[in-house]
Amino acid sequence: MQPTAPVWTFDPHRRRSDRVVAGVAGGIADSLGVRDGYVRAAFVTLLTIWGIGGLLYLVFWLATYEKVEDRKVPPVENVRAIGLGIAFTGLLFLLGALGLWPSTVVVLTAAALSFGTAALTDPSSPGPFAALMNPEVKKVGKARLVLGIFLLAGGIIMFSTAVGQVFELSVVFLAVFLTGLGVFVAFGPWVRRLLGDLSAERSERIRQEERAEVAAHLHDSVLQTLALIQRSDDPQRMAMLARHQESELRDWLYGTAPLDGADLVSTALKQAAARVESDFQIPIDVVTVGDVAIDERTRALVLAAAEAMVNAAKHAGVDRISLYLEVEGDEIQVYVTDQGRGFDIEQVPSDRKGISESIRARMAKVGGDVTIDTMAGEGTEVMLKLAP
Amino acid sequence: MSIKVYLVDDHRLFLSGVRAELDSEFRIVGAAYDVDTAIDEIRALRPTVVLVDVHMPDGGGIAVVEGVTQTNPDVKFLALSVSDQAEDVIAMIRAGARGYVTKTIDPDDLADAIRRIDAGDAVFSPRLAGFVLDAFAGAIPSDEDPELDQLTSREKDVLRLIARGFAYKQVARKLNISIKTVETHVSSVLRKLQLSNRHELARWASKRRIV
Repeated sequence: MQPTAPVWTFDPHRRRSDRVVAGVAGGIADSLGVRDGYVRAAFVTLLTIWGIGGLLYLVFWLATYEKVEDRKVPPVENVRAIGLGIAFTGLLFLLGALGLWPSTVVVLTAAALSFGTAALTDPSSPGPFAALMNPEVKKVGKARLVLGIFLLAGGIIMFSTAVGQVFELSVVFLAVFLTGLGVFVAFGPWVRRLLGDLSAERSERIRQEERAEVAAHLHDSVLQTLALIQRSDDPQRMAMLARHQESELRDWLYGTAPLDGADLVSTALKQAAARVESDFQIPIDVVTVGDVAIDERTRALVLAAAEAMVNAAKHAGVDRISLYLEVEGDEIQVYVTDQGRGFDIEQVPSDRKGISESIRARMAKVGGDVTIDTMAGEGTEVMLKLAP
Repeated sequence: MSIKVYLVDDHRLFLSGVRAELDSEFRIVGAAYDVDTAIDEIRALRPTVVLVDVHMPDGGGIAVVEGVTQTNPDVKFLALSVSDQAEDVIAMIRAGARGYVTKTIDPDDLADAIRRIDAGDAVFSPRLAGFVLDAFAGAIPSDEDPELDQLTSREKDVLRLIARGFAYKQVARKLNISIKTVETHVSSVLRKLQLSNRHELARWASKRRIV
């Protein structure tokens, strides 16, 4: 059972939102408790009687204030709507009796067209044909639809007859035009509502998927890390796990994959070092002197340095690695140093891609230099240099 | 004659760990968890080397260094910290500490650093070397004593190698100089760091704190 409309709330206002001209018709509709479309139809109809509608509109405009807050459309009470309809018809007769009656055809055409449109676009009624087929739609809704279609068809016929007589236009052309217009008017709102439903459904689905993704990610990363931290009793490892998780979470939240959204080389190198630290459980001493912004070239430098750190962590057999960045003028140098077992460069199998591709090729692409200083048993130092 | 070492750190667990590590090689004459006790005991016990934490309540390591140096200028300090705050580290050195190492240093290196401090040398960890290079980078200031306000290229070379993680011995070999010369360079840098009134130093340090 719908809540009934207020008995009579005289609130002379104009709507601010959802208005066509100045919100006058909407304000009256809100006061009367009917749909705004019908009030607009009444104004349109009255407009054809020597412009009375326009005059009334101006009078109401001056006599009302603009209401800022959102409107609440009271539900239409059918009895009142019928009463208002009869009253409006009476007003038309009164005007006719007063001699204010230009042309029955024009007034009735306008009335039929405007009220028919209002009935069909009534947001409380569903799409026309689906609604007629659907037994769940209330009888009133069906009646309103039938009335709307009937009025619209009548209006179109009358209008085409009248215009056809005056201008002697081709009846066929007019019929085609009006049929198209009628179909557009009748189905437009329905199609729009259908599309609206679809997009609402789509955005809801996207929201659901996003929530699922967030849950999955938090489970895979944060929850796992928290579990590891709870089970670990080594503070150093806990700190490493936490640091790594933090940088990964930032990375994910702010969506910049390769360098964690760092905008300075020093920050990016520290993040890369933190990752290697936690992946291999080897502390890295990071020392930076000067700094420079991340760009395409320095990005390559950071990635190459990260690869050098991974190599040192994997192969050097050491318990600490040093990373040194120095920016002096236009020259940027990065050193990855370990005191480990070192290696013989000649002996590195050619299929090992770490040094050749991840370091040398990457630096060569941005015009940088790579020097690797190592000997078996003497530790390793990878020097990366970018000069302008 | 073993070196008399005193420890100051408000972190008891760390303190007991360091104590256990150094006990076999040095004579640990005492330890304190707070600034006031530390100053009193160091004055009374006269250790040769004090290991002091940078961050502590009531003034931190600086208060200890300044408080003791007034009365006992012969006590040598080595700053130990987990802190990456350049400002605090530089402030400790300028207050009189002869070296700075991070708490992640391994026990052998720490023992080595204590011996070096005792011998009157300076101890620069890679991070301190980096701080110094950074602080002394840039244009030559127009001060009354330009020699104090900039590093020589040899000193920079030494600091760079330390920053890259090399021990003094390796630095000496890489530069084809003796360890003694490396130590001389480092001590000279320490002196500049303590005495320079280079205005960039303060500005640089406060800038570092914000970062």
